[in-house]
Amino acid sequence: MLVRCPSCRSTFSTERTGPQDCPACGKPLVVPDSPGVVPAGVQSSLQSTAQPQAEQGTPWERRAELGTWRAYRDTVVQALFEPARLFGSARLDRGPAQLGFALLTVSAASIVAQLVDYFFLRNWTQMFLRRLGGSGPMASYWQKLAEAARETSPRSAALWALLTPLVVLVALYLNAAVTHLATALLGQAKRGFAATFAACAYACAPLLLLAIPGCGSPVGVVWTVVLTGVGLQQTHRIPGRTAAAAVLAPYALICCATCALGVLGGMAALRGSP
Amino acid sequence: MHALGLAAAGLAVLLSAAVLPLDAPPLSLFPCPFRAATLLPCLSCGCTHAFAAAVRLHPIDALRSNPLGAFAAAAFAVHIVWTALRLCGLRWVPAPLPVTPRVRIGAAALLGLNWAFLVLRGGP
Repeated sequence: MLVRCPSCRSTFSTERTGPQDCPACGKPLVVPDSPGVVPAGVQSSLQSTAQPQAEQGTPWERRAELGTWRAYRDTVVQALFEPARLFGSARLDRGPAQLGFALLTVSAASIVAQLVDYFFLRNWTQMFLRRLGGSGPMASYWQKLAEAARETSPRSAALWALLTPLVVLVALYLNAAVTHLATALLGQAKRGFAATFAACAYACAPLLLLAIPGCGSPVGVVWTVVLTGVGLQQTHRIPGRTAAAAVLAPYALICCATCALGVLGGMAALRGSP
Repeated sequence: MHALGLAAAGLAVLLSAAVLPLDAPPLSLFPCPFRAATLLPCLSCGCTHAFAAAVRLHPIDALRSNPLGAFAAAAFAVHIVWTALRLCGLRWVPAPLPVTPRVRIGAAALLGLNWAFLVLRGGP
């Protein structure tokens, strides 16, 4: 159950009732047996934030009753076509399940993509990278990538496939941390890191498209960014425009700063010209 | 649970920075596309070098590469140690920083200063 500490106001999940210490501030509090029955004398010092009716859990969080395959399929379908319903039903105390969903989805798709690329598309990919490396501002990058792809041995390919879940775990947590930082900077992190993490984890569903060569990756990534915005809106219960701002802030910050610098440089150049 | 996940991610990043050479794949495959397109650094330009310098205990080099990256590496290290201590039974938890408008403006200003430093410093 989710409990809010009366001292520091932070929300945390706990499996047991009775006297315990807040994991955030360390101060003692009492969790009642039932959210509806708060013992007299404790009521003023304890605010239980029991799950609203809507947060019954996503299909993946209820996989014990639905069955793993059906739960996974329903979660992916809801993420792609009914994201508001999925994110609205996500429970913030089910972090391990959400992490498992993201790890399974992205790792499986990435490994399939790597195998397809290694066995069927290697020559085509190298030709494509060589062409990209022929000119343009990113030429040196594409050349390096082509070189690295050419030197890939079966052993290193297998190693990369084995390391994929670890890379996905690191990327997921870094993405959630950056997104949460942006959300907090905008003053919208109303329900803590667990809410941001749930949004980022279920937003990984479109990354199944990574397994499709060619257009799968860009479509999947853009879809994921959009879903992260929808997820933040639902899990933090914030307006859509602020959720979009939180997701796009890291990108917009860079672009806006560059545009501002470009305008200033342009004005300086115009003043300097005869 | 998320504290443990963040600590694991941080540990993986710091170990990668300690073990992987900067001038060979995969780290050499991370040139900044933003810098390539605009000739200007992005907010995270130099973070790979900052992490590599930080784990080798060269704080000045880390700060020169990217102050934000150096701070992030230090924050990861502190979080890993703190999580390990909590797993060993430490009960003390620092009070969470209240995110007031003043704190938010200060953080945004620090990000801006960090980016201005990278622009003025130039170079890779």
